[in-house]
Amino acid sequence: MVTPSRAPSPSRTTPGPVRGRPLRARSVWSGVLIGVGIAAFVDETVFHQLLHWHHFYDRSTPGVGLVSDGLFHAFGWFAVVIGLFMVADLRHRAGLVGRALAGGVLTGTGAFQLYDGTVQHKLMGLHQIRYHVDLTPYDLTWNILAVVFLGVGVVLLRSARSSKSLSAPGR
Amino acid sequence: MVHQHGAGQPGALALIVAGVALCAEVAYGWAAARLRRRGDRWPPLRDLWCAAGSAVVVAGALFPFPGGPFTAHMAQHLATGMVAPLLLVLGRPLTLALRSLPPGGRRRLLAVLRSRPLSGLTNPLVAAALDAGGLWLLYRTPLFALAHERPWLGCLVHAHVLVAGVLFSAVVCSLDPLPRHGMAVRSAGLVGAGAAHSVLSRTLYAAAPPGTGFAAGDLSAAAELMYYGGDLVEIALAVVVGLQWYAASGRRLARENRRGATDRRPPASAPYRQ
Repeated sequence: MVTPSRAPSPSRTTPGPVRGRPLRARSVWSGVLIGVGIAAFVDETVFHQLLHWHHFYDRSTPGVGLVSDGLFHAFGWFAVVIGLFMVADLRHRAGLVGRALAGGVLTGTGAFQLYDGTVQHKLMGLHQIRYHVDLTPYDLTWNILAVVFLGVGVVLLRSARSSKSLSAPGR
Repeated sequence: MVHQHGAGQPGALALIVAGVALCAEVAYGWAAARLRRRGDRWPPLRDLWCAAGSAVVVAGALFPFPGGPFTAHMAQHLATGMVAPLLLVLGRPLTLALRSLPPGGRRRLLAVLRSRPLSGLTNPLVAAALDAGGLWLLYRTPLFALAHERPWLGCLVHAHVLVAGVLFSAVVCSLDPLPRHGMAVRSAGLVGAGAAHSVLSRTLYAAAPPGTGFAAGDLSAAAELMYYGGDLVEIALAVVVGLQWYAASGRRLARENRRGATDRRPPASAPYRQ
């Protein structure tokens, strides 16, 4: 429980430089962006297009589903790219909190996956994971995995918050 | 019976488009060489980007792409409307023009750049709507069938795709001294146009443009090409936006450090983006 006082480490010559302050909130957000992007990529590219489980375009899908999918798709790529640049910037500032980043990635992935699996698949009925098979194992796998990701992510985020609570203005 | 006119052998208008692109490239090279003789720094990479962009425009205008007629058209659309604009914009032609023109010409160009209509067009959301909206108009109204029958209309559509693409890329990348817009609006324009593009390509997978009868395989190949090609260019544009953000943040950090530190280092030399 000796909290390592990391703040003034990089150059102790002068009081000033801002390098090295843990930028926790920003680490979390870059992780969330990357996580949402990964989930969107897995769903869109792997399931829709590589495995052809549900198709490029399900004719039965209402227009809303098409538009929301397209928006998520476009946002997914953008989120991954910007999230990675944010990580690069955090490293440049020596302020990356690894645990917060990992927690953000898992939370983002899990949250999007759970939203997709419950709201888009079930509530709105836009598309299903597969067709002409018993859906239960697929739905359970998809949603339980989502909850696991989300749970581990939240635990990581909480531990990231408690471990370095010395520099309070993280947010 | 693939007797394709308009897309196949180059007509007079296609030759004009290719000629204009070549002339622009020559002018660019000449201006860059002059700048260097004067002693200014102009990274060779920019020449390379611009040359590649012009080459893609020429190829799109003159040479038929392989594949079925609609797939070939879509490849041409991707090359002229998305790839070439991004390459051209990376060459920063306006920056070069402003630096190499004589004072009178520079003043006139600046007046145009700051004029009211252009400041409206260079709003990222307007540019995105013009770019993506034009595509929806092309593929979801009888316009595509009409343009196929009348070569001049086809060429006009082609030119619009190129110009709208250049406008959109220039606004999103914001490398040239156009009216400035924040990172958030430019990102919104990029994501919005990307979404419109991917939705349109999916609907094309299911239904051809009205008034046309392409083979099913041709149609789906074209739709997939549009979808994945659009993704690649969108990622490239996002990388440009991200790099800028990263560079700006690095400059901010350097400023903060300079202010905090007391050592007498000379200020860092001008960042690459002046």
